[in-house]
Amino acid sequence: MFACLLVVQLALPAQPASAADFDPNDYAGKVVVLDFWASWCVPCRRSFPWLNTMHEKYADEGLVIVGVNLDLERAEADRFLAEFPSSFKIVYDEKKALAKQFEVMAMPSSYVIGRNGKIVDQHLGFKVKKQAEYEAAILSALAQNGTEDE
Amino acid sequence: MNKKNLGILAVMATLASGCTSMGVEPWERDILAKDEMQLTTDAIEAATDDHIYFSKEASSGGRGFGGGGCGCN
Amino acid sequence: MKDRNSKSVSAALAAATCTLLGSGASAPVQAEEDPNWDFNSALLYYGEADDRVEDISLSFLAKRLLVDDRSLSIGLTVDVLTGATPNGAIRQDVPQTFTRPSGDSIYTIPAGALPLDDTFKDTRAALTVGWEQPLGRLWKTSVGFSGSKEYDYLHLGLNGSISRDFNNRNTTLSAGLALSQDSWDPVGGTPIAFAPMLDVGDTSNKLGDEDKDVIDIVLGVTQVVSRRMIVQLNYSFSDNSGYLTDPYKFLSLVDGTTGDTLTRTPAPGAEGPSHEFRFENRPDERTKHSLYGQTKYYMNGKVLDASYRYMTDDWEIDSHTVDVRFRWPLGETSYLEPHFRFYTQTAADFYRISLVDGDPLPAFASSDYRLGEFDAITAGLKFGWETDKGNEMSIRAELYQQDGTIPSSLLIGNQIGRETYPDLDAVIVQFSYRFSR
Repeated sequence: MFACLLVVQLALPAQPASAADFDPNDYAGKVVVLDFWASWCVPCRRSFPWLNTMHEKYADEGLVIVGVNLDLERAEADRFLAEFPSSFKIVYDEKKALAKQFEVMAMPSSYVIGRNGKIVDQHLGFKVKKQAEYEAAILSALAQNGTEDE
Repeated sequence: MNKKNLGILAVMATLASGCTSMGVEPWERDILAKDEMQLTTDAIEAATDDHIYFSKEASSGGRGFGGGGCGCN
Repeated sequence: MKDRNSKSVSAALAAATCTLLGSGASAPVQAEEDPNWDFNSALLYYGEADDRVEDISLSFLAKRLLVDDRSLSIGLTVDVLTGATPNGAIRQDVPQTFTRPSGDSIYTIPAGALPLDDTFKDTRAALTVGWEQPLGRLWKTSVGFSGSKEYDYLHLGLNGSISRDFNNRNTTLSAGLALSQDSWDPVGGTPIAFAPMLDVGDTSNKLGDEDKDVIDIVLGVTQVVSRRMIVQLNYSFSDNSGYLTDPYKFLSLVDGTTGDTLTRTPAPGAEGPSHEFRFENRPDERTKHSLYGQTKYYMNGKVLDASYRYMTDDWEIDSHTVDVRFRWPLGETSYLEPHFRFYTQTAADFYRISLVDGDPLPAFASSDYRLGEFDAITAGLKFGWETDKGNEMSIRAELYQQDGTIPSSLLIGNQIGRETYPDLDAVIVQFSYRFSR
C-alpha cells in the first residue's frame, strides 16, 4: 500500500479532465495519439508501458498522447491509474461522446491524428508484436509538416 | 433424424442472424470481463462434474466454449 | 465482489477470456507484466453410500500465457477408485456366488442384498494438452490432445476448435471437433455376448481386447444480450462405435413364472457361480444429439448461472438436465455459491432387469442401472475466498441422489416387491486452489 503511494508521487502526474476539455484545436501542429482504454481491459494495460515510452521518446518532437478513459465507474479508472500511472494526459469521456464520435469498435482503439488535424492511422486492439508497426505510424506522422494535405 | 438436425441448425442460424441488433458497445463490457461472468468459471470443477455425471448417467457434455468476456483486441 | 484481477484458466475446448491479473506484490513504476503461469489445482472426494464406489482425485491445470493472448495448457488428473458397483444381477432370497471378472476367484453376496462387485480398485491418470491462439483479430482457434489410462482402459483423443466474432464481438459462432480412439483390455478378457458366467479358471467365455471410436461435434452461438447478460446455445452430435458394452456386467437368467434366478452347481472340485448369469450385450453403435442453453446474469454483484440440456439418442434414451448456480459475494474477497441440479432420463430400449429362460434371446440387453429410468438431484454449496496474496481458494460440498423406477412390465413373479432400483446416494467434496506466477 505504501509502495503504491510512493510510486504515485514519483511518477509524472496524470491530469484528470473531462472529455469537454479535449479540443483538437489545442493541438494544431502537433501529432496526437488518442488512445481509448478502460481499467478492465487487459490489452489496454499492456499498452500503457509502450505509450509511456512513446511519450518519453517523442514529446519533444511534438507528440501528444491523450488517454481517453471509457470506464463506466470512475473509481475503477482511478484505482487503475494509482497502480499503473501514465506519463501522458488522461481524459475521462464520461458521456462517451468522444468514443461515439470516433466510432470506437474495439478496446483498446488508437487514433493517430496528424499535424494537419486529420486521422492518419488507427489500430484496433493492442498487439505486443505490432509495436514496431505502431511506432512507425507515429514517426511517419511526426515527419510530415502541418501544411501538407493528405 | 436428418430433419431434426436441419431444424436445429436453422434455429441457430436464425438466432445468429437475428442477433445483429443485440449487444453492447465495446466500452460497456466491464461486467462481462469479470471472472465470474465467464461461461466456464472453473475449468477443473466443470471437468470434474462432467466426469462424475458421465460415469453415473447416460448423458454427457453439451457445454460449449467461446464468446463473452471483455471482447478486447 | 470487487473486480478481482485474475486470469481465468480454460480447458482445451474453452476459449481464452479477457480479465485482469492478480497483483499482490508492491506496485511497480511501470505496468506489471502479464503473469507467465496460471495454476489451478483441486482435490476431490467422491463417496457413495452402502460401501459403493469411493473416489479420490487430484487435478492440476497449468496454463502458460504467451504474448498476445496465446496460451499452452497442460492438465493432469490422477484418480484412485475403490469400492463396489452393482454387477447387474438381481437380488435373491438366498446367497449368491459369482466368479470375479479375472476368473481367478469367487465372491458371495448375502441373501436379500443387492449384488455388488468390489473388484474395482483402480488408478487412473489423465493428461490433456491444449494450444489456443487468435487468428487475425476476429478468429480464435485451439487444438488439443487428451489421453487417459487405467488398468483396463486406454483413451486417446485429439480435439480442435475455431470461433469467430461478429457484431462488434457481441456474437460469437464456434465449432469444435473431437476424435477419440479408446480401447478396452478388460480383466480376464472381454466376455462373449450373452455367454454364461463360468467356473473359476474356465475362460472359454472370454476373448481379448476391444476398441471404441468416438466422434464429437459441437456448434455454438454465444450472444451478449446486455451489459449484464450473456447467452449461449450449443448443438452437439456424438457418434460412438465399437465395443460399447460393459465387460463386467451381466444379467440374471430367471424362471419365466417365479422370476427367480436359475441355480447351478459348479463342476466337481471347482468353485463357481451359484446361479445362472449371462453377460450383457449392447449395440456397437450409438448416436447422440444434444441441445444446450446457458445464461449468465449479473445482478448487483451477484451472478446467476443457469443452463438446460436436452439429450436424445438412438438407444431411446432421452434426458433433461437443469443446472442452476447463484454466486453471492460476501464482502470484497469471498463468496457463497449454492448449486442445484436436476436430471432425468428415460431407459434405453434394451434395458431390462433379467433374461427369461426359454424366451428367445434379445439382440441386446443390459441391466446396468445407468441405462435405466431415473431422476437425480444434486444440491450443494461452495464457499470461495481470496487469500492475502491474491490467490483463490474454494471448497464445495454436494449431495447427489439418484432415484430410479423399474416399470412393472419389466418385473416377473417374485421380482415384484423384491427388486428395487439400486438408488445412488453420494457425497462430493472438493477443495481447490488457484494462483498465478
